[in-house]
This record gives sequence, C-alpha cells and structure tokens, in this order.
Amino acid sequence: MSLKWTIWFLGCLFIGMQLPAQENMKMIPAGSYKPFIKGTTERIAVEAFMLDKYAVTNADFLAFVKANPSWAPDKVKALFADSGYLSHWPENYLDNKSLESSNEPVVNVSWFAANAYCKWKNKRLPTMHEWEYAALALPKGATDSAALTQINNDWYSRKTPKQAEVGSIYENKYGIWDMYGLVWEWVYDFNSVVSNDDSRNSEDVIEGLFCGSASLNASDASDYVSFIRYSYRGSLKAKYTTRKMGFRCAKSIQ
Amino acid sequence: MKFTIILSFTLLVSFSALAQKETPAKSCCSPMLASLTTQQEALPETSIYQFDHQWKNQFNQPFQLVDLKGNPVVMTMIFTHCEYACPMMVNDLKKVEKEFTKKHKDVKFVLLSFDHLRDTPERLLEYAKAQNLGDNWILLHGDAEQVKEISLVLDISYEQMESGAFAHANKKLVLDQNGTIVFSMDGLQTKPKPVVEAVNKVL
Repeated sequence: MSLKWTIWFLGCLFIGMQLPAQENMKMIPAGSYKPFIKGTTERIAVEAFMLDKYAVTNADFLAFVKANPSWAPDKVKALFADSGYLSHWPENYLDNKSLESSNEPVVNVSWFAANAYCKWKNKRLPTMHEWEYAALALPKGATDSAALTQINNDWYSRKTPKQAEVGSIYENKYGIWDMYGLVWEWVYDFNSVVSNDDSRNSEDVIEGLFCGSASLNASDASDYVSFIRYSYRGSLKAKYTTRKMGFRCAKSIQ
Repeated sequence: MKFTIILSFTLLVSFSALAQKETPAKSCCSPMLASLTTQQEALPETSIYQFDHQWKNQFNQPFQLVDLKGNPVVMTMIFTHCEYACPMMVNDLKKVEKEFTKKHKDVKFVLLSFDHLRDTPERLLEYAKAQNLGDNWILLHGDAEQVKEISLVLDISYEQMESGAFAHANKKLVLDQNGTIVFSMDGLQTKPKPVVEAVNKVL
C-alpha cells in the first residue's frame, strides 16, 4: 500500500519537476507552410521544435545582463549593438524595482544580444521558417485567418505608443502568445537571401521581395502585413536596435 | 514505510538537483567576449577581430581572425562548389592583388567559406591550388555558428539551398590593420581600382 502511494507521489513529483523546463515553452508540431516570399507553390517543411510561450521581458533580460556584464548598456561593444541598445532602461537599471518586475517585452536589443541571451538559456533563436510557421497558427478558438488579419490590422493602426505586456494580445492554438501585435521579433537567419539562384547580388534580394509582392492579391491584407515584415527583416543589420524589436527563444527537440 | 519516506526524500533531492541544472549558470555566451587575449584587448570596439572563433586554414592549422592583426586585409565569403559567382569573385580579387607590388606582400586575401560541411581544410587547399592562389591568401573553414556571426558583421547575407549550394551576396571588404571594416563593395566583375585605393589608404 505504502509503496503504491510512494510511486504515485514520485510520479507527481517527477511530472512536477518537468514543468519548470516546459512551462514557458510550447511544442510546435512538425508541418509545412508556404512562405510569403517563395511564391505560391513551394512549401517549406518545418520540424517540430520548442518555442518560448512569451517574448523575453525586461525582467528576463535584466537577469541576463546581471549575469553577463559584458552585455550591460555601458559595456557592450559597438560591433555588437548600436547606440540605441537598451536605451529605454533607466540609468539605475541594476537597482530598479519596476524593471525587475517588468512584463513588457525587452526591446532595443541587437541580434547579437538576443542570440547571446538564448545561448545563455541553453536555447537558440528560432529560424525564420520556424517563426513564420508558428505565427501562422490561428488564435485559440478562431476558425479562420480573418482573426489573425484583424490582430495585425489593429496592431498596425494602433496609435498609442505605450508598450503592451507579454501575454496580453492573443494566444494561438499552440499556446504561444503574441506572435503578432506586440513587437517585431529577431529570427536567427533574418538576413537570409530569399532567392533560389546561387549567384545573386544583395540588390536582387530587394528585387526578389518586390517581385514576390507582384504576385500578391492586393485585397489580401494578411499578405500585405507579411510583406511589411519580410521587408523590414531585410533592412536590418545584426547590431541594429529598435524600440519595436524584441525576441523569443526556441529549442530543438532531440 | 520509513524506507519509502527516505527513498522519496532522496529522490526529491536528486530531482531538485536535476531541475536546477536546467537553469543557466554559466556566465559566458557572449561568444566573442568570453576569453579575450591580450592581443584582442587592444582592439578598437569596431574590430571584427573581437570574435574568438576558432577557424582552420587551408593547411589545417588553427586560425583566429586576430592573427591577421597588423596586415591590411581584403576579405570575402565564398564556397568552393560554387560554379559561377565565386570563381568570378576570386578572379576580381586576383586583379586587386596584381595591383600591389612585391613590397606590399603584407596585404592578405582572406576567403571565408559558407560551406562548413563540404569545405574542409583539405578541400580549401585543393581549391587554392586549382585557383593558383599564393601564400598571401588565407582560406578559412569554420562551424555554422561562426560563419553566421561573421557574415552578420560583414553584412553578407546568405541562405543554404536544398541542393547544398548557397545563395549569397557578393561583397568585397577591406579591413585595416586592426580589423575594422573600412570599405565594402557589392557586385561581381568589378574594377579593382576602388578596392586598391581603399587598401592604399591604410597601407
């Protein structure tokens, strides 16, 4: 009898121990999607992976900076972040209660900083295909993509610059929050060229984007917002920081 | 009963220890700032030699970018299975090389490979021989992560195709003796003059 209860107890305990690792990540099942840029025929396969439920917050990032002083706003090297890096943080960021509990997504971070954060967490940045694929999931309870389009349109037309908190916009069917509507997010390969030719110049990448746009149905607003997102990514450099750009981490499934 | 309680307790403790392993403890992971050598400490903030990536050259010797310190460098990224763009790029750089007389042998030509799987040091050596590249050419092989990071500071975008080939930007860069990018130019079959002038400025 007591052995049975012990096994039960240990079972619960074991499950409980698993939770902290997975609580803030959700599994995105394998599948495929049609990227905006590749035209209408080619589907890209995406393997199953884990993705952070929420974008990384100021509080999360503060913990990282405390543990890794070389990423402090006054220490970071110009090669790895421009002068806007964490410029929304107060001077006394090391001892600031509101920052320590801030659930707003961290912004003004470079790709290098985001990449270093994810590595520190034993994670990595999601690839562009992973991110786009996960972001296509409908909001919980929604039955067609109009709901996503509405979220994007609301976001793009929102006038108040106040930053919303993570977990406040919407949850998708995988249990991931705010893929749209909160901040732009870094992806690992944001600077991929997007053509099938093996010998393109970077100018052609931009052309590729606009050629992609030519095949769009202009009445489809969701394609329009995709167009903006892909164009925006193409304009970034890894040391850039902007006040609307944050990130979340991913992890491969072994 | 007593035994089970002890057992549970022991397991609880060991599970807790396991769970704690999940939380990050190491304070490294600024891949480039982890272990600065004295050579690196003296570098300007804009130097790409701040990365502590370990590369292998075409002679299978360990190589760090900071080993280039003191030399003006002409740099680009290629992969050796590339049939069209990369030979043209190498040809462009050979033309640049010809502009320098023997007294400027310290100008280094560095080719970083996108192809971490196929461009082994051996393969790079074969390529250097086939292309007739001299002693002042350094061909480097690194892992996927460092290739990505260096491509980002060089601003050379690329994507691997399903065929294994790479779509990539064609960019020539000039670095000064401290590894700061002082010049870059997109395109193929470009005239050597702008690159030569950029090198001359730092000589």
